Amino acid sequence: MKITRGDSPKREKMRWDIVFGGKAGQGPNILTEVVSEGLIKKGFYVFYSRDYQSLIRGGHNFNILSFSDGPLYSNSSKIDILVCLDVNTLEIHKKDMKKKGIILKGEEENMFFAGAVYKILGIDLKILEDELRKIKNYEENIKHARKGYEKEKRKLKLPEIKESIQNLSFMNGSQAISFGAVASGLDYYYAYPMTPATPVLTELSQMQLEKNMKHKTVELENEIAVMIAGLGSSITGKKVMVGTSGGGFDLMTEGLSMAGQAEIPIVIYLSSRPGPGTGLATYTSQGELNLALYSGHGEFSRVVLAPGDPKESTELINQAFYFSQKYKVPSLVLTDKHLAEAKYLLEKSQKILPVENSIIRMERYNSYEHDENEKSVATEEKKVIKKNFERRMKKQEEINKEAENFEMFKIYGKQNSKNIIIGWGSTKGAILDAISEGKIDTKFIQILYMDPFSRKIKPILEEAKNIIIVENNSTSQLASLITQKTGIILNDKNKILRYDGRPFFSDELAKEIKERLR
Amino acid sequence: MKHKKAKKQKKVKKQKISRPHFKNIKKRDINANARQKIKVNIRTQTPSTWCPGCFNFQILAGVQKYIESQIILGKKREDFAIVTGIGCHAKIFDYLDLPGINSLHGRVLPTCLGIKIAKPELNVFGFSGDGDAYAEGMEHLVHNARYNSNIKYIVHNNQVFALTVAEPTPVTEKGYRDKTTPRGVKLAPLNPIKIMLAAGASFVARVFADSEQVNKVLEEASKHKGFAFIEIIQPCIIFHDDKGYKERTYNIQETGHDKTNMIAAMQKAEEFDYNSKVGKIPLGIFYQKERDVFEEVLRK
Repeated sequence: MKITRGDSPKREKMRWDIVFGGKAGQGPNILTEVVSEGLIKKGFYVFYSRDYQSLIRGGHNFNILSFSDGPLYSNSSKIDILVCLDVNTLEIHKKDMKKKGIILKGEEENMFFAGAVYKILGIDLKILEDELRKIKNYEENIKHARKGYEKEKRKLKLPEIKESIQNLSFMNGSQAISFGAVASGLDYYYAYPMTPATPVLTELSQMQLEKNMKHKTVELENEIAVMIAGLGSSITGKKVMVGTSGGGFDLMTEGLSMAGQAEIPIVIYLSSRPGPGTGLATYTSQGELNLALYSGHGEFSRVVLAPGDPKESTELINQAFYFSQKYKVPSLVLTDKHLAEAKYLLEKSQKILPVENSIIRMERYNSYEHDENEKSVATEEKKVIKKNFERRMKKQEEINKEAENFEMFKIYGKQNSKNIIIGWGSTKGAILDAISEGKIDTKFIQILYMDPFSRKIKPILEEAKNIIIVENNSTSQLASLITQKTGIILNDKNKILRYDGRPFFSDELAKEIKERLR
Repeated sequence: MKHKKAKKQKKVKKQKISRPHFKNIKKRDINANARQKIKVNIRTQTPSTWCPGCFNFQILAGVQKYIESQIILGKKREDFAIVTGIGCHAKIFDYLDLPGINSLHGRVLPTCLGIKIAKPELNVFGFSGDGDAYAEGMEHLVHNARYNSNIKYIVHNNQVFALTVAEPTPVTEKGYRDKTTPRGVKLAPLNPIKIMLAAGASFVARVFADSEQVNKVLEEASKHKGFAFIEIIQPCIIFHDDKGYKERTYNIQETGHDKTNMIAAMQKAEEFDYNSKVGKIPLGIFYQKERDVFEEVLRK
């Protein structure tokens, strides 16, 4: 078992949070990007998340950029610098300002504020100018940036960082998924636009324009066609991924079930947002764990993996291809809007397994129960049916066995602690930061393999005094899975659940955990 | 002397092309292959479970004849892919020993499209029933007419859900009764030929479930580069046995129909509404016009 980051830090890590808010179309995203670049160049660790509404112009959108002198993976609820591109932003966020927080407002262009923030943070204006030169019509922007830089007189006291950041890349979950899929030998990505899975479609489509890219993206009439055409391509011996969110995945489930019966490899990228129904189109949720685990009719094997950050997204999408091809099963990779769109500064994963195609040439496949020894023709013969079920079940056993060679879960924090926090997916960042910033005496178990579920988890949980579970959903779906797999029933009071479409803030989460450990 | 020389040249050419497209082969070569007694049989050993006398046997015979003739001319079994939906028609998958998949109800076309996108060199044949094509799969049908992938799509239209025991489909005539519709069907049927013309299908044809007609239309459809929609009028001898259909049919090619004329095609499509008990039923190629093909556009 590997101990990863999150070990008790030697000294207290400092963190600052900047909010960039405004109407859709005013450009808070590009503003967040250029400030992030400046901070990274100065040696700071940066994380930012996006909070935006389902509209194209107007409304209130904001990004929270957090930075620190050490690694960080979440936002906190208190604001050091508030950049208001409109009046609304001030009204909504001023209650969250720290006492000595800085507010930037006024009717100015967004790059004026970029210049001002650079000044406040003590970053060389030249870095900003270089960043802006990468964008079209940069002259105007540079003019505004200079004006903002000159006019701003305030300063935030920041430590001088001697070591520069190397070998880290600033990316979101969607970029990491796309990178991992291409590295696994992706041939076709089929999709129908749906937030928050669309950024992978965009990323893979843009990557096609680069040199030596063999993969193609295909948009079809609906998710039914997407899934079925994906299976059609897969049986010719190609590596296929399809992508969607919950509502679209509902439409894919008949195809998922066919993949189970006909034993066709396929990788499904499922990025959740809050449901039911259309739910909240642009917000985050971990409400689709059960959907990923139990969707599709009939009994068949599958692999369900849940990365907690971009680095793991690359690794797990690769492992999804590996298991899917090797065992001819559907593999699902479950993320959410927070992971798909938040940007993390992490090392780019190089742990890419070679994936061999299990189908060399197209043969005969059948959605009916069929006899593989008789050209896969449909059969109702009970002996054959029984044999088929047993063969498919045996495959599940083999998957379970091989999966134990992978990091099915990770343990962070104090090894000898009797307290355990359990989480999965995108809550990882807030949990890690809450533990280190709140100096909490606990272990943190992050589960990455939801199906199969590691047999090694049960003995660890059995030794714990307190088990706290953290999830971005209202029914604690992971707790149900743990009970199902280990027989351990978790105390309802120890379930920290957030289901308002927003991710956890590290400071608020630390408080919640401490209350339960008191 | 001259004749001999020509023959020699022909031989050289034949050696060069290992898998000749049938366009490049003259009838003489077919005879030559026939003389060598190349026997091709793509029928599996699986016994048929269609009702005795079912018109699906005619369709199977027509398809089998066409594909076997292509194999005799040099194509391989692996050059073909067949896809079926769910229903009586789908049993054809078990009877043809060709690569492919017995897919889901209504999902024949996206399955074909996925295969064709990944392997454009394959000759992909999709088979559907009318429930499959016009009820569960209608959204795919309309969009695939637009995509114009080089798929040959065959609809076994018996105007009834036969395998689920006689329920009406979107092309069942008004007044039709079964146990689930005791007061009879109240809605007029769809006209799939008109839908396909409006949706932009580049090849639209209808034939009767007769092995020769099926074989011939597949020959024509395979020469066409693009999506070919072929509807087969196939009476269901148990639940929808309209013995009058065959007598009412005529071939529009024999009456000088201009298949490049959309308006003329629409007019021909209007002649049979899938509802009336009288009047002529036009058969043949209603419309044909080649345009860009999906799998090629995708690679541009």
